Amino acid sequence: MVDFLNYLINGVLSGLLYALIAMGFVVIYRASKVFNFAQGELVVFGGYMVWWTVIQMGMPLWLGLPVAFLSAAIFGLLIERVFFARLVGESVFSMVMVTIGLLILIRGVVLVLFGPQVRAFPIIFPIEPLIWGDLIVSRTLLYGGLLTIAIGLGLSWYFNRTRAGLTMTAVAEDHQVSMSMGISVQHSIAIAWVLGSVLSTLGAIVHLSGRSINMMSSDIGLAALPVALLAGLESLAGLLLAGVLIGVVQSLASAYLDPLVGGAIGSVFPFIVMLLMLLIRPTGMFGWKTIERV
Amino acid sequence: MDPAGVFATSFVRDQALIRTRKQGIALVLFILVLFGLPLLTDVRTVAVVTSMMITVVVVMGLQINTGLAGQINIGQAAFMGVGAYAAALLASKAHWPFWAALPAAGVFAALFGLVFGLTAVRIKGFYLALTTIAAQILFHFLILTLPQKWFGGSNGLTLDPASLFGFTFNTDTRIYYLSLVVTLVMIAGAYGIARSRHGRIFAAVRDDDVASGMMGINVVRTKALAFLVGAFYAGIGGGLWAYYVRFVSIDQFTLIHSIWFIAMIIVGGMGSVTGAVIGVVVIRFAQEWITSVGPTLVEKFSFLSGDIVFASMNIFLGGVIAGFLIFEPRGLMHRWNIMKRSYRMWPYPY
Repeated sequence: MVDFLNYLINGVLSGLLYALIAMGFVVIYRASKVFNFAQGELVVFGGYMVWWTVIQMGMPLWLGLPVAFLSAAIFGLLIERVFFARLVGESVFSMVMVTIGLLILIRGVVLVLFGPQVRAFPIIFPIEPLIWGDLIVSRTLLYGGLLTIAIGLGLSWYFNRTRAGLTMTAVAEDHQVSMSMGISVQHSIAIAWVLGSVLSTLGAIVHLSGRSINMMSSDIGLAALPVALLAGLESLAGLLLAGVLIGVVQSLASAYLDPLVGGAIGSVFPFIVMLLMLLIRPTGMFGWKTIERV
Repeated sequence: MDPAGVFATSFVRDQALIRTRKQGIALVLFILVLFGLPLLTDVRTVAVVTSMMITVVVVMGLQINTGLAGQINIGQAAFMGVGAYAAALLASKAHWPFWAALPAAGVFAALFGLVFGLTAVRIKGFYLALTTIAAQILFHFLILTLPQKWFGGSNGLTLDPASLFGFTFNTDTRIYYLSLVVTLVMIAGAYGIARSRHGRIFAAVRDDDVASGMMGINVVRTKALAFLVGAFYAGIGGGLWAYYVRFVSIDQFTLIHSIWFIAMIIVGGMGSVTGAVIGVVVIRFAQEWITSVGPTLVEKFSFLSGDIVFASMNIFLGGVIAGFLIFEPRGLMHRWNIMKRSYRMWPYPY
């Protein structure tokens, strides 16, 4: 019973981490209609920026983290300037294909800038877990989870209730229509990538705090995909619920099914959920239902 | 486009692939050069060209699936892997002869692809692309976690060289001719598909699936068919690959390979069969060039490290994909067509 509770709590918290990573996807999608395949690479880049400022340059945390966030924001803006600003007016298809190119490109850039070695990631959150009786909870994931809930609700409010957020929502609905309404698609895409890059850095901090970083850390981007799809690509608050669901399912599956199957079925389980979800209800739990016209 | 005054008087003539006598001569010469290549060059070139031809088969499938029918597929390497594993298993465990194992590899990959194509019943656009990513991940998982007796796990599988009517394809030159023949057949098939009724249906669904549905095209069936054909090509390519390297392992079929395939069709030109061939040749040539020039550069300039070669390959690939999408989304084939047109029309503008 205690084991079960532990698995459950850890599932919820790691699910919230997935939700945070998936938030990077969804923010970019919600403001530009571009599905970003390079999400994991953005996370790794953000992580390396934190490593660079805090460990390599030896800045204290209160200075290093803001500098890392700032450089991640500049990186996001740079991506928009170099690639997407030229593609405004082209099909969304090309933009999505460009993110596939970015996936590879950022890997190369990270290798050139930071090298292929495994680096120790700074300890941002206290490393010793909280212990209540038999329950053991990682502080990193707990604080990260609380942060995720706050940011998720905040962004959801921003995109659904404020004027600036709603204009970006219009861009996600249709580029041409929003352009003809006087909304700047380029501006919206720029904000999307800055936000996405900053959120990814935050995700990297929660994911990697006290651990080590190398290119393999980008796998979290793929692991977060099922969460984004389960929620529906347009819903930010829905991510929290979807993240918790996926996290719990994965944690329980790896706890109880892995010994039976003799392999890491827990890590594939989210993808099976994702495939089923796509077949049953492709728009996810809270996604928009679109009506198509010719 | 033909010059003014030159026009076809029958449908067959209008649909002809070889439109002028010069084109026919060029094609025959090109194929003759390909057949004579092992006599003209060294073993290394033959090996590179063999791997190029196998890649052409796989990329041709992706071209039909993504370029013609417009279904983004980021799992082509997984489909290729299914074909390679099927061929390796059938040949090494069930002792099937080559002529049976290779088509069977295609069929197995096609069925695997069809499973993901069938999701098109409910899903469209980028959601469909996501199921192909899931295909890639599931493929890895299945191979690595199922009992090692079945698929060899992380050790991979080895198989005997292909043999046909008592003739064994055990040297580089022999396997080169085998791949050449299979590739030529597959390319001819792709041309056939592209200009047939099915090819036109694919293009209609790509351009607007709602509108083509209104016109009476069965959109779901078309998308599933596109995946079926694309994965069949991948499976044949994978089977050839298995017989070529005679060793199949999971790290030959990763997501990165799938992305290379996508890069090849973007560079060559989406929707063009010839473009797929050109894309493969250009990208593979650049890869070879970087891997051969890289170490020399590292030696000359000591501040560069050995990892720079791998990193620069990534930057090159990403830059090429993004660059082509921004500056020439229609690929090299479009440029070639412009050149050909101005050559034909010269000295008149039209």
